[in-house]
Amino acid sequence: MYLHLENVRKEYDGKVAVNNLSLEVPQGVICGIIGPNGAGKTTTIRMIMNIIAPDSGRILFNGREVDDTFRNRVGYLPEERGLYKKMTLQEVITYLAKLKQYPASKIRERIDPWLERIGLVEYKQRKVEQLSKGMAQKLQFITTILHEPDIVILDELFSGLDPVNIELIKGILLEQKRAGKTILFSTHVMEQAEKLCDHLCMISHGQKVIDGKLTDVKARFGKNSLQIDIDGDGAFIGSLPGVGGMTEFNNYIEVRLADSAEPEAILRAIVDKVKVRRFEIVEPSLYDIFIEVAKVEPSELRTDGGEGSV
Amino acid sequence: MGERAVSKFLVILKREYAEVVKKKSFVIMIFLTPVLMAGFMILPAMLAGREVSVGENIAVIDRGELGIGEQFVQSLTQYKLKGTDEPAYITRGIFNISPNDEQRFRQVYDSLAQAVTDKDLKYFLVVEPAPHITDTNLYLVTNSNNFRTIARFESRLSDILSSYRLRMSEVNLPVDSVLALTERIDLTLKDTKGESIPFMVKYFAALIFVMIMYMMIITYGATLMRSVIEEKGSRIIEVLISSVTPFQLMLGKVFGLGAAAFTQVGVWVAIGVMIFLAGGSTTLELEPAVERIVFNPVIVTFFILFFVSGYVLYSTLFALIGSIVNSDKEAQHFIFPITITLIIPVMIGIAVVQDPYATWVLVLSYIPFLSPTMMLMRVIFLAPTATSYSFFSGILAEATLAFLLVVVTALLVVWITARIFRVGILMYGKRPNLPEIIRWVRY
Repeated sequence: MYLHLENVRKEYDGKVAVNNLSLEVPQGVICGIIGPNGAGKTTTIRMIMNIIAPDSGRILFNGREVDDTFRNRVGYLPEERGLYKKMTLQEVITYLAKLKQYPASKIRERIDPWLERIGLVEYKQRKVEQLSKGMAQKLQFITTILHEPDIVILDELFSGLDPVNIELIKGILLEQKRAGKTILFSTHVMEQAEKLCDHLCMISHGQKVIDGKLTDVKARFGKNSLQIDIDGDGAFIGSLPGVGGMTEFNNYIEVRLADSAEPEAILRAIVDKVKVRRFEIVEPSLYDIFIEVAKVEPSELRTDGGEGSV
Repeated sequence: MGERAVSKFLVILKREYAEVVKKKSFVIMIFLTPVLMAGFMILPAMLAGREVSVGENIAVIDRGELGIGEQFVQSLTQYKLKGTDEPAYITRGIFNISPNDEQRFRQVYDSLAQAVTDKDLKYFLVVEPAPHITDTNLYLVTNSNNFRTIARFESRLSDILSSYRLRMSEVNLPVDSVLALTERIDLTLKDTKGESIPFMVKYFAALIFVMIMYMMIITYGATLMRSVIEEKGSRIIEVLISSVTPFQLMLGKVFGLGAAAFTQVGVWVAIGVMIFLAGGSTTLELEPAVERIVFNPVIVTFFILFFVSGYVLYSTLFALIGSIVNSDKEAQHFIFPITITLIIPVMIGIAVVQDPYATWVLVLSYIPFLSPTMMLMRVIFLAPTATSYSFFSGILAEATLAFLLVVVTALLVVWITARIFRVGILMYGKRPNLPEIIRWVRY
């Protein structure tokens, strides 16, 4: 199933949440909608899900507007997670799959293998309220895909998941992709998105800033980043000639090069002042690309408002 | 709605139904409610009018010097306990005290009053001087309100005073024959069918039908509202809306919980019928009057019609409230007007039973939000006495019209609610104001 957004726009009380967004998601790809909190990701996904109506523009699946066929063929994980607390795992899974008109016999067939896979099979007859947060997240994830949807849409996919479960879910999503399913997810965690998606759409302040295949996007920006690991204070690096910007991570510094910069000159300048342990010319990360194309300050991306907690 | 849409509606309906019916409280309520209803409504009525099984103690203080006390006590000997030869009233003393002896009067009065307080004595009658001139000079001291006894006393004292007045007057007529000639009659009531349903039977029948409807609508309406609030709170609503339309979700809930309400009433009816059949004509012989109400096809039909249409109307309003609030607490002041509207007929029921034809009663019973209860009351009062039914005049025509108005209103409310519901269920945190809600309806 492929997805097509055409000049989609949504305003809330005069404030533009999503502005003329167009996007193509071909069948069988994993596409990430990437942007900081408040960029318009959730609004976009809710419009795709037909939960809210766009003020203008069109959203088509396989060339058709949302109808009951689509509702049955989509799996949706909203940003805010939640299930019926008083129902058992089996009841919840069965109910949500039945609402997708998935045959009862197939629900019975698939429920145990899936619960096994996420390690909750012995909880099958327990109530949802007895699960920990992480368990409930995994449970909700499998209710999103148990009915074999053609397209899976996941809002803030990684929120509330620990690293082990992120790997588990990534594995399942890659399997789904290999089976020809289309996957669209949103996140503000760019490092994770980079490892999962093969298409991406970056948005900032309701506007699309760049989209396309991950490899194409990266190729456009070339090898224009440095990763440097030094002993001592690296604050001076930002003001060296040829440096477009820098970000300090825990154990290394990432430097964006200005257009005609020479990495060797920069290396020389650094070696003069501090001891260099590692110096590497690398592809820019999605994070760097975002900062460059969206013309935002890095601080804007580091504000994690605890979004997407259950 | 296509075939698929209908079956999604059924999936929701079944879950909502199962969620209620599987609960222990559902089973408990089924059996507890009739017991409570009987306790609160039928029992006091039965007790108030019951025959006493032991004689009641009575005393008299007579300061009138006319022998009225003696005559009164004498006249009471005609009353026997039901089915025995035992006297219904036992005289514990007649105190003839001079009107001038205030001190002795106070003394006796206080000791008798104490006896009433201590329940050694049920009543004592005080005859002050000249009771035939000023009837407030005759009074009964008691803590009891047995209206059967009071009516007997009134009637005996009236006779005694009348005969005394006759003897005192210039008219020279034999007292006994005058009393016989002027004897009060108890008016026999017959309706146009030639039978009569006592006032109390009608009133309590109406009250029970209306109370059942009221309780079911409030209970299941509130359950529906809480279920919407819960789905909003747990955010599962977004998942649901990605699978079904808000309209399907709303109707699935309304009818799923409705099915649970009808199950509950159905069980009550089944229990009632079983008791009736098992008891047969021996143990639980229904009064013919009660039978005429409970088995009247017009009453039964309109109870079902008004119950279903009234439930849909009101529970949809509860769904509306659930969709625009974020907590039970916020919902409280929206529920209040609904509760009041539903309880009005119970409060004014006594006036309705006295004159079901009154213009204001008729007007109220055509207001769709009141019809399910008000018009049903009129049906209960009027249908059993109707000699023939017509869809063009009389109670059948009026009730049918009111029912159609309720149906039209319910459809309108469903339509408006569906439009507010689909926006409201996704509004977290902030409660919308009225202009916003109106915009949602238009949008």
